[in-house]
Amino acid sequence: MIGFIRFADNLSAWFGKAFAWLIILMSVGTGYEVFVRYVLNSPTAWALDVSFIMYGTLFMMGGAYTLSRGGHVRGDFLYRLWKPRTQAKVDLVLYLIFFFPGVTALILAGWKYAARSWQYGEVSVNSPAGVPIYQFKTVIVAAGILLFIQGIAQVMRCIIAIRTNKWIEAEEDVFETEDLLMEQASRAEKDSHP
Amino acid sequence: MTDPQVALMMLGLFIVFVFLGFPIAFTLMAMGIGFGYYAYFDARRMWRDFDRLDEAAGTWDQWSTWFEGFFNNRIFDLFVNQTFTVMSNEVLTAVPLFLFMGYIVERANIVDRLFSTLNIASKNVPGSLGVAALITCALFATATGIVGAVVTLMGLLALPAMLKARYKPSFASGIICAGGTLGILIPPSIMLIVYAAASNVSIVRLYAGALLPGLTLVGLYLVYVVGRAILQPSSAPRPSADEVPDVPLGKLLVMILTSFLPLAFLILSVLGSILFGLATPTEAASIGALGGMLLAFLYRAMTWQRLRESVYLTVRTTAMVCWLFVGSYTFSAVFSYLGGEHVISEFVQGMNLTPIQFLIMAQFIIFLLGWPLEWSEIIIIFVPIFLPLLAYFEIDPLFFGILVALNLQTSFLTPPMAMSAYYLKGIAPPEVRLTQIFAGVMPFLFCVIVSMVLMYVFPEIVFYLPELFYGG
Amino acid sequence: APAVLAQAPIVLKMQTSWSASNIWQEFAQDYVNRVEEMSGGRLKIDLLPAGAVVAAFQVMDAVNDGILDAAHSVSAYWYGKNKAASLFGTGPVFGASSTAMLGWFYEGGGAELYRELTQDIMGLDVIGFLGFPMFAQPFGWFKGEVNSVADIEGFKYRTVGLAADLFQSMGMSVAQLPGGEIVPAMERGVIDAFEFNNPSSDKDFGAQDVAKNYYLSSYHQAAEQFEFLFNRFSFEDLDPDLQAILKYGVEASATANTSKAMRRYSADLQWLQNEAGVTVRRTPKEILDAQINAWSELLPGLEEDDFFKRCVASQREWAEQVAFYELMNAPDYALAYEHFFPGKLKL
Ligand code: NA
Ligand code: NA
Repeated sequence: MIGFIRFADNLSAWFGKAFAWLIILMSVGTGYEVFVRYVLNSPTAWALDVSFIMYGTLFMMGGAYTLSRGGHVRGDFLYRLWKPRTQAKVDLVLYLIFFFPGVTALILAGWKYAARSWQYGEVSVNSPAGVPIYQFKTVIVAAGILLFIQGIAQVMRCIIAIRTNKWIEAEEDVFETEDLLMEQASRAEKDSHP
Repeated sequence: MTDPQVALMMLGLFIVFVFLGFPIAFTLMAMGIGFGYYAYFDARRMWRDFDRLDEAAGTWDQWSTWFEGFFNNRIFDLFVNQTFTVMSNEVLTAVPLFLFMGYIVERANIVDRLFSTLNIASKNVPGSLGVAALITCALFATATGIVGAVVTLMGLLALPAMLKARYKPSFASGIICAGGTLGILIPPSIMLIVYAAASNVSIVRLYAGALLPGLTLVGLYLVYVVGRAILQPSSAPRPSADEVPDVPLGKLLVMILTSFLPLAFLILSVLGSILFGLATPTEAASIGALGGMLLAFLYRAMTWQRLRESVYLTVRTTAMVCWLFVGSYTFSAVFSYLGGEHVISEFVQGMNLTPIQFLIMAQFIIFLLGWPLEWSEIIIIFVPIFLPLLAYFEIDPLFFGILVALNLQTSFLTPPMAMSAYYLKGIAPPEVRLTQIFAGVMPFLFCVIVSMVLMYVFPEIVFYLPELFYGG
Repeated sequence: APAVLAQAPIVLKMQTSWSASNIWQEFAQDYVNRVEEMSGGRLKIDLLPAGAVVAAFQVMDAVNDGILDAAHSVSAYWYGKNKAASLFGTGPVFGASSTAMLGWFYEGGGAELYRELTQDIMGLDVIGFLGFPMFAQPFGWFKGEVNSVADIEGFKYRTVGLAADLFQSMGMSVAQLPGGEIVPAMERGVIDAFEFNNPSSDKDFGAQDVAKNYYLSSYHQAAEQFEFLFNRFSFEDLDPDLQAILKYGVEASATANTSKAMRRYSADLQWLQNEAGVTVRRTPKEILDAQINAWSELLPGLEEDDFFKRCVASQREWAEQVAFYELMNAPDYALAYEHFFPGKLKL
């Protein structure tokens, strides 16, 4: 099970991070539009479409990565007081009845939605530039599949936590500044009181 | 049970389920899909293929077609449709760009320069260290908009300095907690973008409207800090000469030029181009992100490692916010399909409230929600419940939004989920106790409430700039 | 006598592409009222504004999927799926009025082409009708005066459907947005100028707050109609008489909408001029000429698509056959108006 959890974490992280770089393209692309629109008075017809396609792809493909790193916000003011075992029991049930139906719908109904769009070669209705959006609608399916795989890993995490009363954390490579600083502070404190 | 009653049950159950601590985006999604399954349940349509099966169809065909009927509910299509609506929401495109700008600026080695400059510049003011800390917080928070980073960075920098100068620990902590949360209010703020996406109020009007209230709140904080330093000098003693270096004016000017001005210029150019209609918020955010990178580069803080961190943190925070929208759009589509909005508005109208009573009730509920929940959940999920009622009570949704934004300052400061206080506690020296932090925060909470009353009594503070820039 | 136990009415969910405060929501309500009354309470329509269930531009997908039973919209809103969609409202102007083009739909083969496009070519489960023949749509709202084609070059302009292609070929940069998003987009600077549809709708969403120059008369959308969409299963599951009520209710609402539009559009134009400080002008002839030229230059490229070509040919033929009668026969109404109300027609 741990092997699968690691696999899913890595898979989600790989896709999440790869698509995260769209933010650079988005900054530069929108920056370019600012230049041609306000300096040269010849705005592009596609900038608006391209910016929402990048934004939408970025957050959809980052959903599973965020899930694997516990980044989706929880109303956890009770939850955080529970033992890991209790947390895991509740999570396990809710993953099965809350999480999977919706994520499965993203894949299956999303497939239907995207396939229809491919069939008539749908382009964005926002501009006459004809920017294709069928590939963008397919992102719904891709994000659904990633979430589904990550969801199985989360279920396994719950099962292990129920057995051992301990959560298996994902390997982290980036931290919010506050988490990093708080981590350093608590380590420093531990060192001073051995 | 009538459909509207079912809708109310949906809302009630959601509030219960939130407390189970499951990721809220998926809780909302599940509630929307579950109740939507009921709303769209139509046996004739779902088992149409089964009913039309040939007599000769095999057993397997019969079973599989019957089984497929369960998945033939239109709620699944509605969910996908709403997901796509969030994906193509043009207002939200500014969210990742502003977050990215924030993460870059936060890593630009800027806060210590800023603090030491302001500290020297304000040394003749009573409570100078506190004033410098507060202004640094406000400025830095405005540029980054990321509460945790501001509180922890300033907690490591300014808190020890204030404690060393024998400031009362509670007073010093209050300054940092309250100052650090200003970034979600003062534009360009992500919270206001999210409110705009939830309420359809123009984001630029919101930005213009939030500017004076934000400055008013900073002003109230400053009055409190300086006033307390004068009235109770023991809580904020004057630093001794050796604690604040004597810097010649010329050198001070250079320090201001290199630390204060670039950041101020970045903020003003982003904000100015939005308010003067020179660029869309999304365009301005991209300029802010590029400008932030340039700034970090000039401060020699732009490393490959930091860029990667900023990029990855951007995708995670964007996903967190936008998946909440995916959940809540689905939830609210089903809620209004069932007629839930009607019941709520009829119920509230039946209470015979005056507009001011309604306003106080709404803000009080939002204040209470701010104890256990965070701003994103409140704005994306709960504020939309009040929005349809505003027209009935003739309350401008812009005005309401600014009050909410002020109000939600408190959500970071009130236990049990006082994130600012926890961040500070996490990095503060062990002798600073959480109770002290909470005690120090109280007067600032009071300032927030005073500012809300001021907005109500003098609504021009909110409306002056939007009307000036964009007309009535 | 014992009351006959009434059967619970069949409820259809209909969403519009308009916000609740837009006059078009009232127009949709006119339809709903007629249907409910004619069905003697057997049929009820739950009318919802844009965004209540799905976004304004999503109604075609939603009706096809059955998320909505029905929608009240315009066909230009789904022309991203097929450009020919726009021909059922926002198409080239061959000289036929909006009423004449509604005639094309019902008498000139348009309905069958619509069915072919939606059901055969795109494989959608929808049934559609066209209603209210709208008055020709103003060129729209500008921050400053525009006198020539050169003046509008480089503008970010909001319109929809083939009108977007039209203005793009005239040197504008075009964005399509639902009505409710126009004013916020002006304030954000996403667009510099826009048109929506008519004085009342434009006033309802606050056009006068973001621009003060309003130009009447244009060829970009001179003959649009409302599109009434029904999910095929929702429609076919009904008894034949109820189907007929839904169908002919569209025709009935066209008269109701026209009458209401007469009263309200004219009153609101006056209000914009007299109360809101809006300068109302007629679009300069140079721009109108450029529009007609742009239409004829635009068509050959679009006609590479077989269906598009057949559909335009059918419209062109209809316009040629019928419009001359209307144009040659109509008296100069302006002359009579000027006689009885001298000086009022000056802009
Ligand atoms: Na709180
Ligand atoms: Na129009």
